[in-house]
Amino acid sequence: MINKTRKHKLESPKQKHNRHKATEAIMILDKMKHDFKEPPKAMKYFYDLFERVHCKNEPLHSDKVKVGTMCIQVPSEIIYALDAVPLRLCNGFYTNDEIGSDFLPSKACPLVKATIGEFVSNNFSDKPDLIVSPTTCDQKAKSGAIIEDLGFSVYDMEFPRTKESHESREYWRRSVRKFTKDLSADLGKKITKKRLKKSVMQVGYAQHLYHKLNVLRKNIKSPILGIDMFLVTNAFFFDKIDKWIEAVDVLIKECEQRVEDEYDCAHKRSPRIVYTGSPPIFPNLKIPLLIEQADAIIVADETCSSNRMFNDMVSVDEWFVNDMIDGIADRYLKGCTCPIFTKNEDRKRRIIDLVKEYKADGVVYQAFAGCQVYEMEQRSVLEAMEKEGIPIIYLESDYSPSHLGQLTTRIEAFVESLKNRKRKAK
Amino acid sequence: MNKIKNFINHADLRKFRFWLQLFFFVFFIYGGYLAIDLGRELPIFACGYNHEIAGTCYFMPLQHQLARPWETLFSVASIGVLTSFFVFLLWFIVFNKAWCGYACPMGTLQDWITSLRKFFGITYSTYTQPQYESLKKIKYIFLIIVIVFPLLLGLGILDGEWRGAFCDMCPGRIITPMFVGDFSQWSIDFSTKTAIFLSSFGIVFTALFFVGSFIKKRFFCFFCPMSAMHYIFSDVALLRLKKDGDKCTKCGDCYNVCDMQIKDIADDVKSTNILRDDCILCLKCVAACPEDDALHLDLVNYPIFKSTKGGFAKRMEIDRWEKKDD
Repeated sequence: MINKTRKHKLESPKQKHNRHKATEAIMILDKMKHDFKEPPKAMKYFYDLFERVHCKNEPLHSDKVKVGTMCIQVPSEIIYALDAVPLRLCNGFYTNDEIGSDFLPSKACPLVKATIGEFVSNNFSDKPDLIVSPTTCDQKAKSGAIIEDLGFSVYDMEFPRTKESHESREYWRRSVRKFTKDLSADLGKKITKKRLKKSVMQVGYAQHLYHKLNVLRKNIKSPILGIDMFLVTNAFFFDKIDKWIEAVDVLIKECEQRVEDEYDCAHKRSPRIVYTGSPPIFPNLKIPLLIEQADAIIVADETCSSNRMFNDMVSVDEWFVNDMIDGIADRYLKGCTCPIFTKNEDRKRRIIDLVKEYKADGVVYQAFAGCQVYEMEQRSVLEAMEKEGIPIIYLESDYSPSHLGQLTTRIEAFVESLKNRKRKAK
Repeated sequence: MNKIKNFINHADLRKFRFWLQLFFFVFFIYGGYLAIDLGRELPIFACGYNHEIAGTCYFMPLQHQLARPWETLFSVASIGVLTSFFVFLLWFIVFNKAWCGYACPMGTLQDWITSLRKFFGITYSTYTQPQYESLKKIKYIFLIIVIVFPLLLGLGILDGEWRGAFCDMCPGRIITPMFVGDFSQWSIDFSTKTAIFLSSFGIVFTALFFVGSFIKKRFFCFFCPMSAMHYIFSDVALLRLKKDGDKCTKCGDCYNVCDMQIKDIADDVKSTNILRDDCILCLKCVAACPEDDALHLDLVNYPIFKSTKGGFAKRMEIDRWEKKDD
């Protein structure tokens, strides 16, 4: 007789990890695709991209050296100029958050936990060859060592925590120059004027496109939802830059058409929101999703996974390597509104300006439980908004799928109150 | 109207400035051949030692006028001193410090030396902030030499050899005549000790002018007493450099391109009038600002050149991208 026992396959930890990640990814993508009015057709590229990378684990950069970056302060222009690809490693998966918890204090930031979790699982679709860790917030700075212990090669890039002084500018410029030299030696590539100029222009063009798309949201009938915008900007973390540029170019054309047709992706009375605080990183787009499901629309943001990544541009007076590097360095320090800096005046001014420019009705300030700097700045930002008469709500959240009920109630109440205000104003 | 505004805001400032500077340089240095004479009250270093100059630096007559004996200086006889001062003020008030950035032959010459440096592929140098803070005071010392020394002369405290002391020290006296083939100013006057000191100071300063401006952008402007004089009256000028601090992200793009290393342009978000004493109103900062309306040049209160996202992208050539293989 033939032994007819059924073959039982055990799921490997890696497969399990992939399955969990894919579930998280597909759940949010499905909601984005189907819970709202029709998204722009050009968004299909981005939905597919995230599905390819996070559900099918498709590598995008097998032919290039990959430089993982732990924060936005690592100059991508320099990495591109050395013929490598920057990959932003800030992670948004709850699965990774849980894995990383074992390595960090219980009250640590979920983003940092998730990032470490990804390293622990060592399950990358594009595995970084080198990790650059700028000394921005405490938790990020310290996780460099943890990652190193896991067997990765980590380069600490010194970053100042004040930005007003002449000394800090010089310090950071020196840091960036050193980084350029070290990376160039490490990769065995020489940085040339031509290549650096090309990469400054290319990243500059990507920024230019982002701005072009972003300003369309100033229209009272916004052509694109905030959550879709977050997906577009999140894609910049890891996508091939020329592919990203092509896709955004198409998206801009479609959105411009929508503006012309006066298409409104929200509703007539949907309150307009400026989103600020800890960065929403795919698939943790929970709060933006809740806001827009509650019939509000995010028209602008002040977060490092989106606006802050693109906002400030490099300007160069003389196109020499040294001058370009200094210009690049300044871009990542001087305009940065990250709460790790001693003062937070710039961030407050920026939020107020966004509210005015984008005719927003209110601000949502979200901080991850454990993201100390954002939690600490909350009070002063709330005060500043109150002074300006701008309604604001402060939310604390993490990566877990629980607590949704409470968050929904608070967000819905806030949106409702904004609607009332709007009605009364009329 | 919007089209014109858009055109101006997207303009290639570099080209515009190059041609305007070239025009003014030729105009002032060689204007005399065409019998052009704009008088002796110009707020730029168009030096009268060049006999073909189309108008003279105000400091030359000013020093002579102030050196009159005090009884004459403070009498009706010196009404001319006042009128020439008003003529100077009139010239200045219209264009403000744009005289420095666009019309001054010495300024233009420095920009050309900068281009030469660029041609050789040499990077510029900058001062550190503490150096900057102390060096910037020097121009006020020169201004004292321009104004107070002649007064002391009139009082009889200083000797006649101090007459026109600043002119003797000024590189403009030595350099400007060279362009019409007159090299006679390259000499040290051995008549008296003071003359030796002043004229050799002039030679050294001129040598520094060439070396300095090769290394540092607009090296001389930093020490220019005319720039200090401008600043005293710049608040009443019609052309104004304004800043809207709310729109500024302090990114420092303007500071990066500033030939004069003015830190306030990026860091000061409170002042609306952002013109500082070192400013040469070249407008490179406005051209390099990526935020809409953050920096603008106003004629009285009407903005004529504004910073725009689009203009920035166009000037940086990041508004287009062609795939090129290298």
